[in-house]
Amino acid sequence: MSLPEKSTLAEQIKAIPGGEMLMMCFSCGTCTSKCMIQEKLEPAYNPRRLIREAAFNLEDMAFNDQTTWLCSACDLCYPACPQKIHISAVINAVKQLAVAQGRQNPHQTAKVNEFTCVACGLCVEICPYEAIALIGKKVPFRGMINVASVDPGKCMACGICNAACRSTSIRLEQDFNDNLVLENLWGWLESEAV
Amino acid sequence: MVDAARQPLIEVKAYTEVERVEGFVGNFKVTLREKAKYVRADRCNGCAACAKACPVEVPNYFEMNLAPRKAAYIPMSQSVPLIYNIDMDACIHCYKCVEACGALEAIDFSMEDKVVEEEIGAIVVATGFGHFDPTPMTEYGYGRFPNVITAMEMERLNNSAGPTRGSLMRPSDSKSPRRLAIINCVGSRDKRYNSSCSSFCCMYAIKNALLLKQMIPEMDISIYYIDIRTPSKGYEEFYDRAREAGIKFIQGRPAGITEDPDSHQLFIKSEDITLGRVVEHEYDMVMLNQAAIPQPDQNHMSSVLNVAQSPGGWYMEYHPKLRPMDSPTDGIFFAGACQGPKDIPASVAQGSAAAARASRILHSDTWQIEPTVAVVWEDRCVSGKGQACGICERACPYGAIDYTKGISAEVITAKCHGCGACVGECPHDSITQLHYTDAQVLAQIRTLLAVEPEKKILAFRCQWCSYGGADLAGTSHFEYSANERGLRVMCSARMDADLIYEAYRLGAGAVLFSGCHPQDCHYITGQIAGAKRAARLDKMFARLGMNPARFRTEWISAAEGDKYARVINEMQAALDAIPQDELKAEIERLKPEMEKKLSKLNQIPGVEEAMIQVDFIVSEMQNKAVPI
Repeated sequence: MSLPEKSTLAEQIKAIPGGEMLMMCFSCGTCTSKCMIQEKLEPAYNPRRLIREAAFNLEDMAFNDQTTWLCSACDLCYPACPQKIHISAVINAVKQLAVAQGRQNPHQTAKVNEFTCVACGLCVEICPYEAIALIGKKVPFRGMINVASVDPGKCMACGICNAACRSTSIRLEQDFNDNLVLENLWGWLESEAV
Repeated sequence: MVDAARQPLIEVKAYTEVERVEGFVGNFKVTLREKAKYVRADRCNGCAACAKACPVEVPNYFEMNLAPRKAAYIPMSQSVPLIYNIDMDACIHCYKCVEACGALEAIDFSMEDKVVEEEIGAIVVATGFGHFDPTPMTEYGYGRFPNVITAMEMERLNNSAGPTRGSLMRPSDSKSPRRLAIINCVGSRDKRYNSSCSSFCCMYAIKNALLLKQMIPEMDISIYYIDIRTPSKGYEEFYDRAREAGIKFIQGRPAGITEDPDSHQLFIKSEDITLGRVVEHEYDMVMLNQAAIPQPDQNHMSSVLNVAQSPGGWYMEYHPKLRPMDSPTDGIFFAGACQGPKDIPASVAQGSAAAARASRILHSDTWQIEPTVAVVWEDRCVSGKGQACGICERACPYGAIDYTKGISAEVITAKCHGCGACVGECPHDSITQLHYTDAQVLAQIRTLLAVEPEKKILAFRCQWCSYGGADLAGTSHFEYSANERGLRVMCSARMDADLIYEAYRLGAGAVLFSGCHPQDCHYITGQIAGAKRAARLDKMFARLGMNPARFRTEWISAAEGDKYARVINEMQAALDAIPQDELKAEIERLKPEMEKKLSKLNQIPGVEEAMIQVDFIVSEMQNKAVPI
């Protein structure tokens, strides 16, 4: 995607599809009170604040705001918004701009094992965030081949690719990795058995 | 209302529908359907004996369906006129009411609807507003949770003449609520339903909160809002009083309401914007302050009255600032919320203004209209020769042109406002505008471009906005190029393509097509027609290979004198940038094209004769016999 250079944060977001309505926000707070992440995971999570930071070009605040990185794009807020702002698209735009500026996603993303990936494209098809693409790459010992590649600006670490991959070549490495999930599962089965 | 009914010169026609409105200012013919009440107005004395005898009970819409009424009813005890009515949809024909009425014999089941036609001089429309039904907003649970009520239901529940005789109780268990939440902007300022602000609900919420606080001082009342709008005199002080009384104002629009199904207690989760934190509170009852929307039959009525609607569906006024009580049709006026949501003082002011405007018509024998009305040359109109056309009828913003295939178009002079949109649009030049006839405007163009036309900027200005803008530039001493030559027409819709071709045929350096900003047009949609034509011309000139600097379209208001001066100066600079020989070559190249387009110009009545005179003056000017 080509972005207009040397423009403000708000202008750049408005240029990304879904971010057009950014400036329409009148800060009613509906999105925040609707949000599941705010309710279940992180009390300080606040999409309204992030939109305000973005609209006022507060780049550092917006890029360091965990709202940027935690949104799962469930779009509960979108149909509730009285100004019809596609909030998850705005948040996604902020995230892409942050990654484009070299910021690291503070949360884990899916990792590809390029030595075993067969480029079947299952993960590309199944990723709900369109974060995975097949790219041509020179891999040691395998030469120039197609492998899956994860865009850290789009990956939400949902693990669907991990579950779908038939050669276990794409995985979450920290939370919710295969071992932890299996451990939890066994623990749960054992407690049920008792 | 009682006073109005007693005034001998006022006739109240209750339960009557307007079916058709024909004619024009001072001479409307209105068809009314007087619906059968099945009670004779000349005999009924309003004793209510029929209602007492009636065994049928149906919900009373006046009480927001919270209380019953009989099939023989009046909606409320203060009804004017005090004549009972039998609801035939509910009546079971037991005739107990006839018995109860006795010797008065007021009840007459043989009554039928009566259609009458009346001669009316002026019409004041005061049909009010409708209420947004919050049922589609499932997040607030209206209709599912018994203790979520609308503002209008609250109005009846705390009214001493209402179903609870003024003691507020919640619907689920009839207990008096101790914690009440009011949610503002339900369905208003919401692009999913109505994007506009309903204007009076903030004050309405504060009024209800203060009223309830007076009734039940220990009640805890919170108002959830996006913004509180208290713009008029004394309103902010009222808001202050509410704060002082301990009413809590929470900035934040709740995303939803949840209910405990056993106790029917309600929980509202919202972000408290000022705290920046999500808070959840418990309430006994929630009032939804729903949006004011146009009446459900407003679309129908607008076609009956032949008045346009604004984008939100409200009736459209003649001018939003200068004539807010007039409709675009002379003789029809608006009072109150049918023209847009407004509170009581504003409605009263508008109503009084409308009444004064209407009485002006009723007290005059003649009615003056703009002299610049349109006139059809019947022998030129193609419709008279059997061709299908009707372009003028579609162009007219006022519905003042009658088009029937086979007879030439006819202008209803009393309805014409003189914008000239029909003249600009007519492809056969068979319609003209008095005082702005083609001959007159062409004569002006020729004299303005008599000498050194390639150096001139011919500016077409509309009477109301860009002409005023140019005036302001002059009185404010904003300097602009002396090569500009201004030409006034009533509206940008009158700026006929022929006039612009003529300017280029004469070799004008540049042409400015200017008018009002779209929302400011004095002729409803005149500017839109003008803008469309300008865009079309722009495209055509580009195709002909004309330098884009030579044609410009600008919308300039009467307050934008600086903009007018800037536009002219920019045009002059752009014109100067074209090398002289190139410009002259282009003018020569385009001349035959323009002549081709103007080949039928001399056939327009009056043009040829006028041009002979004008050409004489032009030659005198060119010989410097008369001052330029």
